[in-house]
Amino acid sequence: MRALFALTVLVIAAPAFAHHSFAAEYDGDKPITLKGVVTKVEWENPHMHFYMNVTDDKGKVEEWKFEGFPPNMLVRQGWKRDVTLKMGDSITVFAWKARNGMNLAHSREITLADGKKILSGPPAGTGGGN
Amino acid sequence: MKYLIPLILSVSVAHAQNAPKQKPPVPRMADGKPDLSGIWQGGGAAGLTFAIGAENAKAARPDAAQGGRGGGGGARPEPAPYQDWVQPKLKEIRDRRLIDDPSGRCLLVGVPRITSMPLPIKIVQTKDEVIFMYETFHAFRVIPTDGRGHPDDMDPSFMGDSVGHWEGDTLVVDVTGFNDKTWLGVGGASIHSDALHVVERYQRVDYDTITYNVFIEDPKVFTKSFNTAPSYLSLRPGERLREYECIADNQDIQRFEELLKNPALFVRPPQ
Repeated sequence: MRALFALTVLVIAAPAFAHHSFAAEYDGDKPITLKGVVTKVEWENPHMHFYMNVTDDKGKVEEWKFEGFPPNMLVRQGWKRDVTLKMGDSITVFAWKARNGMNLAHSREITLADGKKILSGPPAGTGGGN
Repeated sequence: MKYLIPLILSVSVAHAQNAPKQKPPVPRMADGKPDLSGIWQGGGAAGLTFAIGAENAKAARPDAAQGGRGGGGGARPEPAPYQDWVQPKLKEIRDRRLIDDPSGRCLLVGVPRITSMPLPIKIVQTKDEVIFMYETFHAFRVIPTDGRGHPDDMDPSFMGDSVGHWEGDTLVVDVTGFNDKTWLGVGGASIHSDALHVVERYQRVDYDTITYNVFIEDPKVFTKSFNTAPSYLSLRPGERLREYECIADNQDIQRFEELLKNPALFVRPPQ
């Protein structure tokens, strides 16, 4: 019983950046870092999404989709629509893969072409653990 | 003389620039009550979530608002005191990794959870009302402070019915009339019933801080009443409320539906 109580406290204390469960959709045990070129940015509430073409060693191109913070939160931490992240940008994304097996991931940090790092989404385990 | 005035002004400005920055005093209404008006961000002290504190935790003090995460004011965080019959439901919620969180489907998140959401709150205070406008899902609360009680025709609702009164410099808000469709917070403190009763206490302890303490009781799901860990709201000068329409492009709802067709993809395996 004591263990259950401890677990409950941990779960309560999980940060709540997003308005939904991170853990149901994304696997915090499956981090991924991908480099590619942005093909589209959907600057929409309640969460932004962006798409990126990733080219592997053999020249094969795959499109990945990433979820991120709401635009309102991005703006408040210094992002500018159509400026900070836009089509054609070469970036590196740190994210966690979706549980549905698609080329979908929840982004946490983006490294821009000039090396600048910006936060783009909440940490893993936001609500519900990993 | 006409040269003296600019000189005095420039000396004054220079003096002001060199003086240590002082916070303005807490603004007050004509009736002497603290004015809570402004744009605020909740969730302080407990991070961006709402930690449940020790039973009968002391009310937050200004120093408590400055320190620690989750258990300020000497309150040791404890689990919410759920009755035994709720425990299997809580386990199911955890095992399903919170996919059932009503907020994921853009439903109003209730009180007190709305206060700790990571989007700002605009408070407008008048002589007889305090109005809360939340960027989160565009929720609002119009809280009368003119002495009236709860109406006698309350329908169960997501945000409940709020009435307020002043105890010295503290705004005390009594909230009841909830439905059972919201979650109290995240994870372990999720389930509540339509018997939920919340008492919030807001005190603007300095220009840019409102301490926030909450009493919770729900005899249908908890073994006893309790207070949350002290939290606070921070002033956000220059901020404005922005639109946060949640449904039109909520792709999570569709993905939840897909996952629910194949629970093995996300349900925690038995341990």
